[in-house]
Amino acid sequence: MATVEVEKKTTLSTMVQAVRSAMIDEMTLDPNVVTLGEDIGPRGGVFLVTEGLIDKFGKDRVIDTPLAELGIIGAAVGMAMFGLRPVAEIQFIDFLFPGFDMLVSEAAKMRYRSAGQFYCPMVVRSPYGGGVRGGGYHSQSPEAYFVATPGLKVVAPSNPYDAKGLLISSIRDDDPVVFMEPKKIYRFQKQEIPNGAYEVPLGKAAIAREGKHVSLITFGAMVQLALDAAEKLKPQGVDVEVLDLRTLQPYDCDAIMTTVAKTGHVVLLQEAPRIGGFMGEIAAYIAETGIEYLEGPIVRVGGWDTPFPYALEKAYMPNVERVTRAIKKTLNF
Amino acid sequence: MQIKPFTDTPIKYLEYDGRPSADVKELGLSTDDYLRMYRELVFARAVDDRCYILVRQGRSGFFAQIAGQEASQIGSALPLRAQDWMYGDHRSQGSLMIKGLKASEWFAHQLGRMLDPSQGRLMPHGPGRRDLNMPPPSSTVGNQITEAVGTAMAQHIKKSDGITICYFGDGATSEGDFHVGMNFAAVYNSPVILFCQNNQYAISVKLEEQTHTKTIAEKAKAYGMEGFLVDGNDLLAVYAVTKHCADKARAGRGPSLIESYTYRYGPHSSADDDTRYRPKGELEMWRTQRDPIMRFRNFLASQKLWDEKKEEALLVDVKAEVAKALAEAEASPVPEMMTVLDHTYAAYTPQLEWERKELAAELGV
Ligand SMILES: Cc1ncc(C[n+]2csc(CCOP(=O)(O)OP(=O)(O)O)c2C)c(N)n1
Repeated sequence: MATVEVEKKTTLSTMVQAVRSAMIDEMTLDPNVVTLGEDIGPRGGVFLVTEGLIDKFGKDRVIDTPLAELGIIGAAVGMAMFGLRPVAEIQFIDFLFPGFDMLVSEAAKMRYRSAGQFYCPMVVRSPYGGGVRGGGYHSQSPEAYFVATPGLKVVAPSNPYDAKGLLISSIRDDDPVVFMEPKKIYRFQKQEIPNGAYEVPLGKAAIAREGKHVSLITFGAMVQLALDAAEKLKPQGVDVEVLDLRTLQPYDCDAIMTTVAKTGHVVLLQEAPRIGGFMGEIAAYIAETGIEYLEGPIVRVGGWDTPFPYALEKAYMPNVERVTRAIKKTLNF
Repeated sequence: MQIKPFTDTPIKYLEYDGRPSADVKELGLSTDDYLRMYRELVFARAVDDRCYILVRQGRSGFFAQIAGQEASQIGSALPLRAQDWMYGDHRSQGSLMIKGLKASEWFAHQLGRMLDPSQGRLMPHGPGRRDLNMPPPSSTVGNQITEAVGTAMAQHIKKSDGITICYFGDGATSEGDFHVGMNFAAVYNSPVILFCQNNQYAISVKLEEQTHTKTIAEKAKAYGMEGFLVDGNDLLAVYAVTKHCADKARAGRGPSLIESYTYRYGPHSSADDDTRYRPKGELEMWRTQRDPIMRFRNFLASQKLWDEKKEEALLVDVKAEVAKALAEAEASPVPEMMTVLDHTYAAYTPQLEWERKELAAELGV
């Protein structure tokens, strides 16, 4: 007996499901999209992002590789130059480093060194970030290395809707993109996301919360912490604006200046250590371009300048207390 | 038995049922040695089982079981001496404990307590101890291989009488680290044993999908080194082959690759679901027909050295020792929050001094 199903336009999804849905939609639309990585075949990836993909698209397009990040990223570079759009999965971003050379020396520089003849439309997807009891090598936020490498784009979504749209934009982009997935919130929240492909543009930030007293600028898993801190300060009459950068390279200059001009106070929040960190760049940009708007110091909040700990993760990770202290520091200047 | 490289089948001293298939007397082991070896096997399994429970209780965040690989780990660590260096990986606690890591320290490591020689600074897959010449394993697969070769090069340069052993899995042989390490080891004739525990899986990836050579041992040929294939579930064979390679390294006759052919019983780690990739029946076959502990027990019985009564007494004894070790670990304090900044550099930098004040304010101490 045939049943008639009304076609739903959206699906309630976690970030893992959203990323998977982006992969399925793009692989269905574009036969040049392939994916490669460790355990991404029958195992479905250690976070199950690629679950079911090998059955749908076969072994030629869902490539379970030997344990070698050098091979994964290097092969992706070669595939991309040939005309495919590879999406490489690195199991944890902490394990990208055996393939770092291929990313920063090859993928990032291919377009420049061939005067535009060759380029690498590839994505390196990888879970990043702390708060999961992962210790020093399953928790890091190494965005600074990538952002400091001209030729690479760097993207980090903070919710399922953006994750799908940003990943599709990244796959369609003609430059190499490091796509950092905040594993702590992989399954934290469900959102209705459109079925079928849609884009969230690269290079555009989003206001996660409107406010008028202070601009809290962040990305990825820290957006949620920023929102929590904003709620905490609300009863005290402090109205926090949260800007979710979404793309770190190229970052959204206009959105940053708009919020800075509006509030005159800036707190920058990242998980990584502060010295040489990405938010130092944002601070410099604001100081160079918008000093006239500032009514207090630009304050950075981050992890401490140590390797990522295990047992003392709580003492390390930015928390509501650390963020609210920083906000008060700039407001009470 | 003459120990030869590049055999087609794994070197063994014991049949699967424990009966000797070679002359075990030539190993020069006494009855006491045999009994200690057996106790170590049983003890390692008991520690493993206990850790598994800690994870299930949510008291430990991560655990990679060694169950099934006890003979491989213990047999290869026993021929080492105090002056030798040992580089473990994420699944080598059996070897670390033979080198001298206490079970209480291992449990403290699982729980992130101060008794852990790494003081809770590392995901619990193995702490280091300087006094035992045992650096803490990295999480990054393969990183230890070139380091171990470097240590062996230094041992050679300094004319130390120590050698180095380095553990890694079959998956690690796909990383560049393995190939570079093999080459350096051979070029500098370093006193190193590169010990590959081939448990046939790297998380979900079977060996056939990892590499297209039939064995890992044969890869040594291409680097001008000897490669030995040993039955990793045969304690005496692992011991004999490792001792052979250790003697060779000590005599200045260079590095060796050992492939210890074994099987892991547990999932890759506490975060894995092995039902997604393991064929039905495979695990049962290994557990019931190839178990390294059962095999050695049957050997002891065949030599009239073991019976049910001794087994019962041993289990009681081991259970008590494990409980005592865990209790010691539990009695150890968790690290102070303020210590999170310690050990980043030899001395605090001005920036870290500043952060120390910030952290103190945040914690209200
Ligand atoms: C460089 C690197 N890539 C990926 C990982 C994730 N990972 C941890 S263990 C492992 C498999 C290791 O397999 P193998 O070397 O065979 O050792 P086994 O776990 O089987 O003992 C993987 C992929 C890692 N820790 N480091």
